[in-house]
Amino acid sequence: MTALLAAEIRRMTSRRLFRVVAALTVLAIVIASLIVALRSRSTSGIAGDRRFHLTALAVALEGTSPVLIIAAWLLGASFIGADWHAGTVTTLLTWEPRRLRVMMAKLAGCLTVVFLLVIAVQILLAGGLALAAAVRGTTEGVDVAWMRHTAGIALRVAVLSGVGSAIGFAIASVARNTAAALGVGFGYTVIVENLVRGLRPQWVPWLVGDNAVMFISGQSAGPSFHRTILQAGLLLVAYAVALLIVSAAVFRARDVT
Amino acid sequence: MAVIEIEGLRKQYRQLRGERTVALDGLDLFVPEGGVFGFLGPNGAGKTTTIRCLLGLVRPTRGACRLLGVDTGSDLSRVIRRVGTIVETPALYPRFSGRRNLELLGRLHGIGPKAVGDVLERVGLAERADHLVRTYSSGMRQRLGIGAALLKDPEVLILDEPANGLDPAGIKEVRDLLRRLGDEGRTVFVSSHILTEIQHTADRVAILSRGRSVAAGSVAQVLSAGRAQGVIVRLADLTDGVTALRSAGFEAVISNHDDIRVTMPPADAARVTRALADQGLYLTELRPDEADLETVFLELTNEAGRGGAQ
Repeated sequence: MTALLAAEIRRMTSRRLFRVVAALTVLAIVIASLIVALRSRSTSGIAGDRRFHLTALAVALEGTSPVLIIAAWLLGASFIGADWHAGTVTTLLTWEPRRLRVMMAKLAGCLTVVFLLVIAVQILLAGGLALAAAVRGTTEGVDVAWMRHTAGIALRVAVLSGVGSAIGFAIASVARNTAAALGVGFGYTVIVENLVRGLRPQWVPWLVGDNAVMFISGQSAGPSFHRTILQAGLLLVAYAVALLIVSAAVFRARDVT
Repeated sequence: MAVIEIEGLRKQYRQLRGERTVALDGLDLFVPEGGVFGFLGPNGAGKTTTIRCLLGLVRPTRGACRLLGVDTGSDLSRVIRRVGTIVETPALYPRFSGRRNLELLGRLHGIGPKAVGDVLERVGLAERADHLVRTYSSGMRQRLGIGAALLKDPEVLILDEPANGLDPAGIKEVRDLLRRLGDEGRTVFVSSHILTEIQHTADRVAILSRGRSVAAGSVAQVLSAGRAQGVIVRLADLTDGVTALRSAGFEAVISNHDDIRVTMPPADAARVTRALADQGLYLTELRPDEADLETVFLELTNEAGRGGAQ
């Protein structure tokens, strides 16, 4: 199992999509940090400007979380979808015929890489903002409680990215296709959630989007929404696990042709 | 000992509209240990489905497959280390080099880089081993697939059309390789539609048609199956020749418009020359009527096709 997991991690990190996503994210952070640095020169002395206040990091992490979660969804879906497309699942199963083991290794490899990528991106983002804050802004208000709060957000963004990645992986695994997973994700987010909000508002506490907002920010998305961060997180994990169980059952039962 | 045992294997695929396609219809197959076993059949006969069932990729609707003594539906993982395979076109990661592809697979069974290097050398890919697979020609991909199949140093090789995409020199290399592997005592189960290659490579064959085995045994047995022994005679006047032979008590017919087929053991051919010479007819050619695998294959699969249509 260790060898299988190591092979999957290596494959995941060697994928072009992974490298493009990682490179674009790093590039975006570098550009944002440069803009912050340039802006800080023109407004030097305004220590109270939240743009250069390190305590604004939590807001920055929350703001960038949707991009990271969507990227994680894409990475999870394409990781297994590309395998089906290329037929490499067949090759792998002729080396390791225990299908559940293969799927678990692929999923674990995918989640490990996505989780570490999101943590690394957030550390880079924090580094860029910390530099600007230290040189031109202020670190006022940075204490243990702030650090705990900010680290909690970063960790939750990484966990939610993992959940997004797992859901994308599960759907693409059932459909044996990356595009299907992306289509389902788009359809659910744009159509289903909005229809539910309009026609069945009492179901809103069970929507993925509202629970994701609650999980990351700790703030309710609407008046009818009463749930703790932990509860929201557990519900999202439960959704992902349920989909993964379905996809594992399908993967175990269906012919590989 | 049987390396592969298939009993009453049936596979039915369901289509989207509810229609059912029968790919295998009660296939029985017995592959003994050692040597090259050719698995022949026209397109759609069920060769690849059989191989997929053997490797646990497709679940049979009915019947059983045993590989190296274990049921492939439940215990394949116990013997997979001893089995090398190619299923259709080998699918490997295009953005990895050939070497990295094999290394990743090899690690699953504790096979190190040295063995990978040796296999790449053996299949003639040593020079391109570090190039990305996406830059390989189809023939090179096929060689890499053969390399992946050999990487486990397997007792059994199950190869689905291994010569696909190869040029004539490559096909000959694969044929020689299969023969060598069979001579080493390994069991090589190879499906192919290149019948002349199989005829010169395989020790035993099975011919599949419409999901059933229509002939199986040694190549000699299959070649003679259902065919009366005979000799082919050529001479200037075919009509006079047939008349002379028939009057001498032979069963003779004009075949292919340019020769006569006489049903008889080839060892008695001297009787033919005497019968013709007695009538003042002199033959220009006399040879045993040896069917090739292609002829037998076409005869058997056409008969099965007609039988299936009835």
